[in-house]
Amino acid sequence: MNANASTLTLNGVTKRYDDFIAVNDLSLAVRAGRIFGIIGPNGAGKTTTIRMIVNITAPDEGRIELFGQQMSAELQNRIGYLPEERGLYKKMKIVDQLRFFGELKNITGRAADEAIDRWLERVKLAEWKNKKADELSKGMQQKIQFIAAVLHDPALLILDEPFSGLDPVNVELLKEVVLELKAEGKTIIFSTHQMETAEKMCDDICMINRSRKVLDGSLREVKRSFGRNSVALRLEGGDSVLDDKTLVAQVERHSDELEALLATDADAQVLLKRLIDAGARVLKFELVEPSLNDIFITKVGESE
Amino acid sequence: MRKFLAVVKREYLQRVRTKMFIIMTILGPVIMVILTVVPAMLFSMKAGDATRIAVIDQTGKLYERVRETILRGDEKNKEGAGKNYEQNFNANTQQRIKTVGAAMKASYDVREVKLESRSLDEVKKELNAQVLQDKLDGYIILPPDVLENGKVESHWRNVSDVVTRGQIEDRLSRAVVTQRMADANIDTARVDEMSRPVEMSAVKVTETGSEKDSGGGFFLVLAIGILILIMITTYGQIILAAVVEEKETRIAEVLFSSMRAFPLMLGKLIGVSLLALTQYAIWAIAFAVFALYGTGALSAGGAEISLPNLPISFYVYFFLFFILGYFIYATLYALIGSMVTTTQEGGQVALPIIFLIMAGYYLMFPVLRSPNSPLAFWVSMIPFFSPITMLVRIVSQTPPFWQIALSLLIGFATVVLLIWLAARIYRIGMLMYGKRATIPEVVRWVRQS
Repeated sequence: MNANASTLTLNGVTKRYDDFIAVNDLSLAVRAGRIFGIIGPNGAGKTTTIRMIVNITAPDEGRIELFGQQMSAELQNRIGYLPEERGLYKKMKIVDQLRFFGELKNITGRAADEAIDRWLERVKLAEWKNKKADELSKGMQQKIQFIAAVLHDPALLILDEPFSGLDPVNVELLKEVVLELKAEGKTIIFSTHQMETAEKMCDDICMINRSRKVLDGSLREVKRSFGRNSVALRLEGGDSVLDDKTLVAQVERHSDELEALLATDADAQVLLKRLIDAGARVLKFELVEPSLNDIFITKVGESE
Repeated sequence: MRKFLAVVKREYLQRVRTKMFIIMTILGPVIMVILTVVPAMLFSMKAGDATRIAVIDQTGKLYERVRETILRGDEKNKEGAGKNYEQNFNANTQQRIKTVGAAMKASYDVREVKLESRSLDEVKKELNAQVLQDKLDGYIILPPDVLENGKVESHWRNVSDVVTRGQIEDRLSRAVVTQRMADANIDTARVDEMSRPVEMSAVKVTETGSEKDSGGGFFLVLAIGILILIMITTYGQIILAAVVEEKETRIAEVLFSSMRAFPLMLGKLIGVSLLALTQYAIWAIAFAVFALYGTGALSAGGAEISLPNLPISFYVYFFLFFILGYFIYATLYALIGSMVTTTQEGGQVALPIIFLIMAGYYLMFPVLRSPNSPLAFWVSMIPFFSPITMLVRIVSQTPPFWQIALSLLIGFATVVLLIWLAARIYRIGMLMYGKRATIPEVVRWVRQS
C-alpha cells in the first residue's frame, strides 16, 4: 500500500433524521497509515459520521469506500471500533467477553486466545482475565473495551473519545499503544472534542461543526495556512517597538509575559532585531503556532 | 452464520451457568414431587382430634340416624379416599380441596343433648359456653319440623371450616332423606340401586373406522396450551431482558459495528429458547423417572395411565404448533424489548401479551363446539391464536391438510416478520438513545433505513 493511498473516502455523504440533518455533504479522505482526527463540538455530527463508516447506518446520499470497495458487512471485519457509548456484559468474565467480541469479528480459537493474552498483558490487566466485568473499575473496563476493538488486528481503527474518563497514566498508556499501532501501519480515525489531544496525536484533521465540514488537511498545513503568527515575549523595555502598528497588530498582556500578534506581512525576525536595537532585554522570544482551539474558534466564528 | 452462532452460544452459556437457572431447574421437580407426593402422604396420615358435635334433636326420632350417618359416612369416606381423589384429578380446585379435606378431617364424635325440662335458649347458652371452653367444636339443632321444611341450625367455633360444615350438611341431608323414605315406607336399598348413574363412553368417528377415544386429544391440547402459557410467562421476561441488555449496558453499538441486527435478534431468541428447552428437558426426564416410580403406585390405586390413542401425525402437529406458539409470543417480547430502554419498563408494556394468550385459550371453546365454522377457520389462521385453535380443530374434526399447512405458514412467516421488525426497531432505537419509542416514531423508523 503506498503512502498516499486512501484507506477510506467519503464522497458527498449526507444523513438526515427526520427534519434534522446530522451530516451534510461531507467529503473526506483518510490516508493509510496515518492518524486522522475528526474534531468538533458535541452534536456536530462526528458520531453519525463514524456510524456510517462502520456500517451501522447507511448514508442517505453519497458514497463511502473502504479499501477501495463500497462499504459492506464483509468489510466490517476489517474495522475495529471503540464507540463513545460503550459497555461490557456485567456478569461475564473478561476472557469470555473478549472471546465473544473476537468471534463477532471472525477471530476464534487459538488465535483469539493468544491475542487476548497479549493485549491484556500490554494494558497491564492480565491478572483480571477471569474476573467479571463489574469487578473492574471504570478505567479498567475502558481498557478492556479498547482491546475488544483491536483484538482482531483491524487495518482501520476508529476510536471515539477514547481517553475520556481515564486517569493520566492510562491516557499515556493508550496513547503509546495507538502510536505503536500507527507504526505497524494501521490507519486510525480518532474522534474527539478535546483539541489538545487531537493536536498531539493527529497527522490529519477534519473539523466538523453543525453537520458541515469546516476545515481539513494535514495538521501542519492547516496550521501553516492559518495565517496567524504571534510571538510569546518576556521583555524588559522595548515597549516603543511594540507600539509600531506596521509590525505588531495587537498585544495581549498576560501575568508575566505578553503575546504579540504580528501585523500582516510582518516578520518575526525583524521584530527581534528591532527589539534588540531598541536596547530591550529579551528573556523569552518564541514563535507561537495557532492552537487547534484558536483555529476552531476562528473558523466557527467565520461560518456563523 | 458464525456471528449468529456466537450470539446463540453467548446467550445460552451465560444464562445456563447462572445460579438462578440451576436453582430453578432443581427446584422445579422438587416442587412437582411436593405437589404430588405430599397430598398422597396426607391421605395416609391420621387426622387430628375428632370434631366434637352435639346434636339437639327436637323431633325425637332422628338422632340415631343422624349419628349413624355422620359416623358411618366417615368410614365409607376413608375407604373411598383414594378412589375419590383419582376421580377428581381433573375436577376443579375447589372440589379437589374438598376431597382432600374430606380424607383428612373425617373423624367425628357425636353426642346427643336432650332438652329435658330446659328451654332451647338455656341449652344453647350452655352449649355456647362449652364451645368457648373448647369442650365442644359445634352443635346442631334439629327443629321439630326438620323433616318437612329441611331447615337446620348449626353453631360453630370455627365457621370458616367449610370442609367440615359441607360434610355435615351432606350427611344430615342423607339422614333426613332416608328418614323421610322410611316414613313413607320406601326401601332405601332399592332406591340406591335404581338411581345408579349412566356411564357414557365417547367414540370418535373417523375415516379409518371407529376408534376408541376418551377425549384424550383434547386434554393434550389443553396441556400444550398450558405449557405455552407457562413457558411464555417464565421465559418472555428473560427474552425481554436479553434484548434490553445491550441497550442498558451500551454494548449495542459495538455489536452493530460487527453484525446485522437480524441475526443478532434471532441469535438472542434462539439462545434463550435453547435455555428454556434445556430446563424443560431436564424436567421431563425428572418427570419420566418419577412417573416410572410413581405409575406403579398410582395404578395400584386403580388409575389408568396411557397416552390417548391418536395418529402419529397428530403428535407431529402438536410439536409444530407448540413450537409456533412459543415463538409467536416470544418474538412479541423481543419486539417490546426493542422498543423500551429498561427491563422494568418492558415488563409493564408486555402485560397485554398474557391477555392475548388467554384470548387464544378462550377461543378454544367456540371452536370446539363447531370446528368447521367460519369463525373456527379464521381464528385458526390468525397466528396469535392458531397454536391452540388449530390444534383443537385437528383433534375434533381434522381440517383439510392445506388449512393446517397454511396456518403453520402464516404463523412462521409472522415470527420471521416480527423478528425482522424487532431488529429494525432495535437498531434505529439504539441510534436515538434515551427514551421509549412512541408508536408513530416506531412506524417512521421501520420505514426509514
